Amino acid sequence: MTADLSEFHGELRAAASGLLAGTPGWRAIADAGWPGLEAPAAFDGADGTFAEVAVVLQEIGRAAAPGPYPSVAALAIGTLGLLSPGPGRDELLRATVAGGTVPVVALDAEGTEAFRLTGGARPDGARLHGAAAFVLDASAADRVLVPAADPDGTAVVADVDPADLTVEDRPVVDATRSLGRVAADGVAVRPESLHRFRVPDALERIRDRAAVAIACDCLGIAEAMLDATVAYTSDRRQFGRPVGSFQAVKHACADMLVRVTVTRELVAAAVRAQADGGPDAAAACSMAKSYACAAAVEVAGKAMQLHGGMGYTWESGVHVYLKRAALNRSLFGTPARHRARLAVRYARR
Amino acid sequence: MTAALLDDFRAGVRDWCREHVPGDWRRAQTGVPDEEFAAFQKGWFQELRRAGYAVPHWPAEWGGGMSVPEQAVLHEELAAHDAPRLVLAFVSIHHAASTLLAAGTDAQRRRHLPAILDGEIWCQGFSEPDAGSDLAALRTSARRKGDAYIVNGQKCWASGAAHADWCLLLARTDPDAPKRRGISYFLMDMRTPGVDVRPTRQATGESHFCEIFLDDVAVPAANRIGPEHEGWRVAQETLGAERGMTMLELAERLGGGFRRLVGLCGETGALDDPVTRDRLAALETELTGLRALCAKLVAGERPGPADASIVKLFYSELLQRVTDFGTEIAGLSAHTDLRKPLSSGWESGAWPLDFVASWEWTIPGGTSEIQRTIIGERGLGLPREPGEGR
Repeated sequence: MTADLSEFHGELRAAASGLLAGTPGWRAIADAGWPGLEAPAAFDGADGTFAEVAVVLQEIGRAAAPGPYPSVAALAIGTLGLLSPGPGRDELLRATVAGGTVPVVALDAEGTEAFRLTGGARPDGARLHGAAAFVLDASAADRVLVPAADPDGTAVVADVDPADLTVEDRPVVDATRSLGRVAADGVAVRPESLHRFRVPDALERIRDRAAVAIACDCLGIAEAMLDATVAYTSDRRQFGRPVGSFQAVKHACADMLVRVTVTRELVAAAVRAQADGGPDAAAACSMAKSYACAAAVEVAGKAMQLHGGMGYTWESGVHVYLKRAALNRSLFGTPARHRARLAVRYARR
Repeated sequence: MTAALLDDFRAGVRDWCREHVPGDWRRAQTGVPDEEFAAFQKGWFQELRRAGYAVPHWPAEWGGGMSVPEQAVLHEELAAHDAPRLVLAFVSIHHAASTLLAAGTDAQRRRHLPAILDGEIWCQGFSEPDAGSDLAALRTSARRKGDAYIVNGQKCWASGAAHADWCLLLARTDPDAPKRRGISYFLMDMRTPGVDVRPTRQATGESHFCEIFLDDVAVPAANRIGPEHEGWRVAQETLGAERGMTMLELAERLGGGFRRLVGLCGETGALDDPVTRDRLAALETELTGLRALCAKLVAGERPGPADASIVKLFYSELLQRVTDFGTEIAGLSAHTDLRKPLSSGWESGAWPLDFVASWEWTIPGGTSEIQRTIIGERGLGLPREPGEGR
């Protein structure tokens, strides 16, 4: 990374942290230019890369902030970027960058359910069937981008009005996230609302972007929990001294810092790989997702432990991070799933 | 350096490795007498020197001058081609050189740096029976007498001392000063009368570490490095700056160990077991994180106060996990390897012995416990534990 870019990232980080402290609405987030960080200038975007998006995603994790930014930035913008250009796609991309619309991709975060298209030859368009069990920010969507297999098995994207779908909120333990089940029962999709991908492995790339976005969130969570724990144990006194001076506590904090430091490197590598689109992007993604998610749960858990009884209270807020970290671990591939993907590279003899 | 130039450099190193790395050195170096090990190590050092690969991290005027990306590539390729490690020269090319470069006089540098290139071997006389991780508690004394210091005391865990020509010696020059003050740093000729080296048999059965007994050893005052009584500071600075470079190599070597582990899992059929595959992927992920950390530490514009400790702690414990898993996978037959190739350092491929040897990294140079305390206090700013003498 050049010095210029690193300086810019520092400023972006500070601005993001400041804005997020005030729980901003979508208008404020759009005004800050975050949805368009990665979009080309031709679409009124900032002409940046996923690296800038990652800075914001990390700050959102650090604040355990609610809101659809992660799914819009990682999934929707990523999906729109991989679709063949055309009036429909271009209009949607521009509107998303401007903050005028909040598109959500109906990609099942657990990967157990999917959509398919039938009857492409009908005059009123194809029909969409199927479901996605866990769609991030489904209820926030004013447009739903539904990845589906067309009759010959090719992955396409149907741009659907949420009113034509069944969107069911699925409240989860982590109150900072919103998930819903999205189902389609023969919804008519007009030809102009059907988009094709520019590349063959687009869905895998979109899933990887989502996984890296979650890894960024996890890094933010782990950093926030380490900072909170250091502050608390430096201040809190027991047996006549700050608890942070006890070796058992200090060493636990040291292990947290090691975890955070390694996480930072793996996430940075995955973000770089996303931005460059290099051949090792998939491996870097799986390493970052599996390590960062496990680290965030571990660090948040350790934070709760080291905050003592106070950490277990609702008011302390530590539970908010622990719940979000635990949810993150299950989104877009568990650590075990990602490690299994890495292991495919080990050749048998 | 452009990516294309770096690719060319890599190709050059690769060609050189194919031609020069002895194919059978592991077998040939297993269970050999100490003298043969030393001769092989010195020969390999000169081979690397001829190629310009022996001291890449030194400044150009002294025979190095390789950029950090080039050094990373060099170590990657040496590890990938399973080249022998410079076990015997480790202290001379890293610790001695960085100390001389950072704190030595011109005369000291001119005397020793070329000699190291010619094969001079150094050991490190830091630890003592009562001052290991609590190094500041050292008691070996050096009393000024005319143009020399008269040194008395005992050092231990001096790796390679049996082969060493010179020693980096810490000794107390002011017995009344607080623990960390009053220590001076010396360059000691191991042939000085009064120096007695006794190898210590280690957990692996090898005797790489030694005790050094010092009985009225006269060290010329000209061989003191840095100001009198400020040896502690010199040691901290030179060793802190040094750790990154050695870690770069060690991380790549651990990468080689991981590839051997995957190979072993393939040979034994363990790769078919999803649990094994999961553990391998987790280890590869940690290893990737370690390599990135090391590269950053070496390139580091502004390393944090605990960065070197973080890397040392993470490396040494990861090494333990890798060799532990290798031992488990390799099964009983691996326990019949009673000797390992001496020229390899830890990564011999004799898994149970490598596993035992992994404590050579979590204990010396500040135990993992000491590293965690440093990380907690200097890295995170946590309050110190109340106690005397700190």
